[in-house]
Amino acid sequence: MALRTWLSVLPGVGREAVVHWWMQRLTAAVLVPLVVWLAFSLAMLGNASYEAVVSWLKTPAVTGFLVIFIAVTFYHTKLGVQVIIEDYVGGWLKKASLVLLSVACIVCAVAGIVALLKITL
Amino acid sequence: MGTSYRLTEHAYDVVVVGAGGAGLRATLGMTASGLSTACITKVFPTRSHTVAAQGGMSAALANMGEDDWRWHMYDTVKGSDWLGDQDAIEYMCREAIPAVVELEHYGVPFSRTDDGRIYQRPFGGMTTRYGEGIAQRTCAAADRTGHAILHTLYQQSLKHNAEFFIEYFAVDLLMNEEGRCQGVLAWDLATGELHVFRAHMVLLATGGYGRTYFSCTSAHTCTGDGNAMVLRAGLPLQDMEFVQFHPTGIYGSGCLITEGVRGEGGYLTNAEGERFMERYAPNAKDLASRDVVSRSMTIEINEGRGVGEEKDHIQLHLEHLGADLINSKLPGIAESARIFAGIDVTREPIPVLPTVHYNMGGIPTNYKGEVVTLRDGDPDHVIPGLMAIGEAACVSVHGANRLGSNSLLDLIVFGRAAALRAVELVKPGEAHEQLNDGAVESVLDRFDKLRHAGGEIPVAELRIEMQKTMQSHAAVFRTGKLIEQGLTRLRELYSQMDNLRLSDRSMVWNTDLVEAIELTNLMPQAIVTAQSALNRKESRGAQARDDYPERDDENWMKHTLATIGENGDVQIDYRPVHMYTQTDEVEVIPPKARVY
Amino acid sequence: MAQFNLPANSVVKPGKTYPAAAGSGRVKKVVVYRYDPDSPENPRTDTYEIDLDTCGPMVLDALIKIKNEIDSTLTFRRSCREGICGSCSMNINGSNTLACIKAIEEIPGDIKVYPLPHMPVIKDLVVDLSRFYEQYASVKPWIKTQGPPPSGRERLQSKDDRERLEGLEECILCACCSTSCPSYWWNSDRYLGPAVLLQAYRWIADSRDEATVERLEELKDAFKLYRCHTIMNCTNTCPKGLNPAKTIAEIKKLTAATGS
Repeated sequence: MALRTWLSVLPGVGREAVVHWWMQRLTAAVLVPLVVWLAFSLAMLGNASYEAVVSWLKTPAVTGFLVIFIAVTFYHTKLGVQVIIEDYVGGWLKKASLVLLSVACIVCAVAGIVALLKITL
Repeated sequence: MGTSYRLTEHAYDVVVVGAGGAGLRATLGMTASGLSTACITKVFPTRSHTVAAQGGMSAALANMGEDDWRWHMYDTVKGSDWLGDQDAIEYMCREAIPAVVELEHYGVPFSRTDDGRIYQRPFGGMTTRYGEGIAQRTCAAADRTGHAILHTLYQQSLKHNAEFFIEYFAVDLLMNEEGRCQGVLAWDLATGELHVFRAHMVLLATGGYGRTYFSCTSAHTCTGDGNAMVLRAGLPLQDMEFVQFHPTGIYGSGCLITEGVRGEGGYLTNAEGERFMERYAPNAKDLASRDVVSRSMTIEINEGRGVGEEKDHIQLHLEHLGADLINSKLPGIAESARIFAGIDVTREPIPVLPTVHYNMGGIPTNYKGEVVTLRDGDPDHVIPGLMAIGEAACVSVHGANRLGSNSLLDLIVFGRAAALRAVELVKPGEAHEQLNDGAVESVLDRFDKLRHAGGEIPVAELRIEMQKTMQSHAAVFRTGKLIEQGLTRLRELYSQMDNLRLSDRSMVWNTDLVEAIELTNLMPQAIVTAQSALNRKESRGAQARDDYPERDDENWMKHTLATIGENGDVQIDYRPVHMYTQTDEVEVIPPKARVY
Repeated sequence: MAQFNLPANSVVKPGKTYPAAAGSGRVKKVVVYRYDPDSPENPRTDTYEIDLDTCGPMVLDALIKIKNEIDSTLTFRRSCREGICGSCSMNINGSNTLACIKAIEEIPGDIKVYPLPHMPVIKDLVVDLSRFYEQYASVKPWIKTQGPPPSGRERLQSKDDRERLEGLEECILCACCSTSCPSYWWNSDRYLGPAVLLQAYRWIADSRDEATVERLEELKDAFKLYRCHTIMNCTNTCPKGLNPAKTIAEIKKLTAATGS
């Protein structure tokens, strides 16, 4: 009964795994101030008129932060949900789910950013 | 034979039985030298009892003060009460130094001195300049040295891709008609299959038989299976009367508290708070050898100075050492005392009692690990195909009493020596001779009979009767009358072995059957131990006879050889003690009175 | 892949009850998982009533008492009975621990004893640990150096460097932590689990070992290492009080630092 068997030949994904772990922490760190800022801003805008909100959105800094927020949020979502799928789903369903997840996140992010830019530009 | 068993056959150059410190060191050496080696073990290697060794491993490294291996040899001979073979002791003490260095190179996480060398602590009976000073000789990895060594040896075995058969229970040796060992028959617990392992050399590293006693520091698995196999093969065991009581087993549970506690400055007191060891051993005090300390404690208790409501134990103090030292050097002790005695060692003493700990006796071997016996006047006749090492063996380096920290040393030095010898004796890949089918049949027969045993007495009932008899009749102090009573009782129990009742008839992980086989292994060893103790009419080392209180070098400076017949009758013979050395580097140490 | 419901033949049924002998003092119920590989029956839980007045203090004492006096077919591993060999790891009242150092007194109500969770059961409380051992071997848990060691003497190691091994070298490979980890339950075919990662880190942390980069490279894998989701069950359950979760975090930090 030799003990050095299947695991020592298991291919390592290497770099990719480290990048995943890094990016998940990095995006989380970026999202913390952005979420605080957004929550605070939305609270302040609670009773504001449609025009006031549009003009707030049109502030270049606000537009910029929101674009970053949407992109980072969906990237972070993709990374997080990917791990859950890898944990709990197997076989062809796993591959399909991962593709669907990527597509969904990209579609949502692009849709959000396009909508925002349509208002502000 | 009613049932037929399917046997899987394996052929190896060497088969090692047991994967404790000695078995692993031997397996490692043999595998690395190109012998095809199988290591059969009834527990996963890191669960062998070596893992529980705490204090350390002796070697005259002189890392923490002056030292010399000759002083170590003197201490060991004196500790053995001049029953140890001096050629083997010389070999062990000289080889100790490279053995420890080798372990460090393997990666054992030894504790360190300020200058980064291996940390060494004082231990009982270890002195400098032939008894003048106290030596710091015991190399330690905190108080988990056995654990550190065993895990490292297993890791090295993985590195060398050694072949293990884990949770395979070795049932018996396969001997041919000329008395040559041809292999072993083992039972794979996980699948329930039986396997024949053919080998040019079988190495028994099966440990001690502490479980013949009711209260011992030994693990449940310490049943001396190899010793019993040797007895069944009609071969003798040597010096079985010498059973070491460790002074400090935790009162109640019997769990070990290392002598290293006293090495670090701990001491014993009686009910009057007196440090009584100062009376018994004015120089070494609490660091006298184990037999001396255990006897002193027993005298204190017998004379009514024991601690507690029943006045039946002694206290071990380490409160004065301070939390820092305890946490860095004795953390495992603090944990054991908390769990098993419910006390905080930084504030209260540990209740302790002398507890069965080690078997100096075992399978007689020479210093190369080859099993020997007395045959046709030759006391060193080698049994072909069979070796033994570790606690199972009696080399004899411990004689009548082992010094603390010489046991881990014994494992490593003789594990290595056995590997070297096997490489000399066995040609890799040599064809195996015809297997003695009769031997296989008779082992299967015994196995099957036991498996279907349908008598009236459960295994556990007979076992506890045996253990209690040994505890009360072959303890620290012995008299001829007491041992004789014990022997009568043991014979009764032995005759009831035919009346065992097993409830589990399965083959997969049938621990009812495992324990039954272990009982059939323990029982003859108990009888041989008691008979050897009765036979030796003197007090020496761990054998303290009230009716013969003196050591008698004229008549008894010789090894006992004991064989047992199927009916339980013991035959006694003797081998001379080796009073010579291997080299001119050291002189024979002549016997003298043993004072600590 | 995760499986959320038991196959029909794994559903545990209530089994036999062995009432306490008449005249028993303090009676405690011990409910034990039983599985007989030779029988087509489902696994069951047998209930044994034992007298604590004639029983040792630990759960292992209770199991041995049952095996000795009530039912010798009960099967479990045990050896040192002092918490150092790691044989008697099992699930007691919901937590993985060593039966030999788990005090009966600490358990209110009945004692419920199951095998280590999510492991293939061989018989009763004995589980198949061979995959766990293979994983251990896979991290090459032995010292690796570039050159030969100094001849005739030990390698030097400072006290501080030796201290970095505290909390690592004490691991007894009982598998309590790994088998308490949900991530290990779902992905034990590819995730190494806390015990093995702790063992890997034991060599990374050893100042004498010279294969740190190689070891980290081997671990940089989405499954081997990164299936740890810091659930912390490992650290909570370790009967030796070690902190595998922290060592995994250390490995992640090191892999991130050495060239992602």
